[in-house]
Amino acid sequence: MGAFEYRQAEEVRTAFDAYGVRYLFIGKSGAILLGFPDTTQDADLFVENSAENGQALVRALKELGFDLTLEQESEVLRRKDFIQLKNGPFDLDLIFAPDGIERFEDAWQRRVTAEGFPVCHPDDIIASKRAANRVKDRESLPRLEAFRDYWKARQEKP
Amino acid sequence: MEEFEAARRRPLPLRMRYAFIHTYKPVLDDAPFRAFDSMADYRRWCEANLPAWLGYGRV
Repeated sequence: MGAFEYRQAEEVRTAFDAYGVRYLFIGKSGAILLGFPDTTQDADLFVENSAENGQALVRALKELGFDLTLEQESEVLRRKDFIQLKNGPFDLDLIFAPDGIERFEDAWQRRVTAEGFPVCHPDDIIASKRAANRVKDRESLPRLEAFRDYWKARQEKP
Repeated sequence: MEEFEAARRRPLPLRMRYAFIHTYKPVLDDAPFRAFDSMADYRRWCEANLPAWLGYGRV
């Protein structure tokens, strides 16, 4: 399994758009799309928790080449809060209920588009990491917050 | 700040090439599929099964 590449991010966007999947990049992968210079392994996607979106998601994942068994497909359709996929062309974490974000719709309204990729607002990425409160989140938060402040300052420039 | 400025000047495909690095994570990478009913279940599973040095434990 190689690292997640730009081309694969484009493939996700194309397939998800084709099937009408509502999603946002979240976590460090989202921050990286916004320009955060750091490293990560997986792409994390915050996916809207609705039956229709779950069905669209399964179709899109299959098109991308994820090898879902019937049981796994059923888990995705049930929209379990956290699903980790390592059975496709790249690793993908699907999150239906991230810590620290109340509703998908709120995050969607605040979203940022980075070169066509829908990404959670940096405030939401930080809120999610703060709420998760893992050792690795605590370590990365100060730098992520510094990036958020830099990013916001740039948005405010005329 | 300088680091952020330098990153901003790089095109996204290049930023992604630098950013996404595949390293083997014991246990975590050993199953092709996992699903958890709740984030709390997932956090508990991480704490019970993953080596502490991976950093998935809660503070």
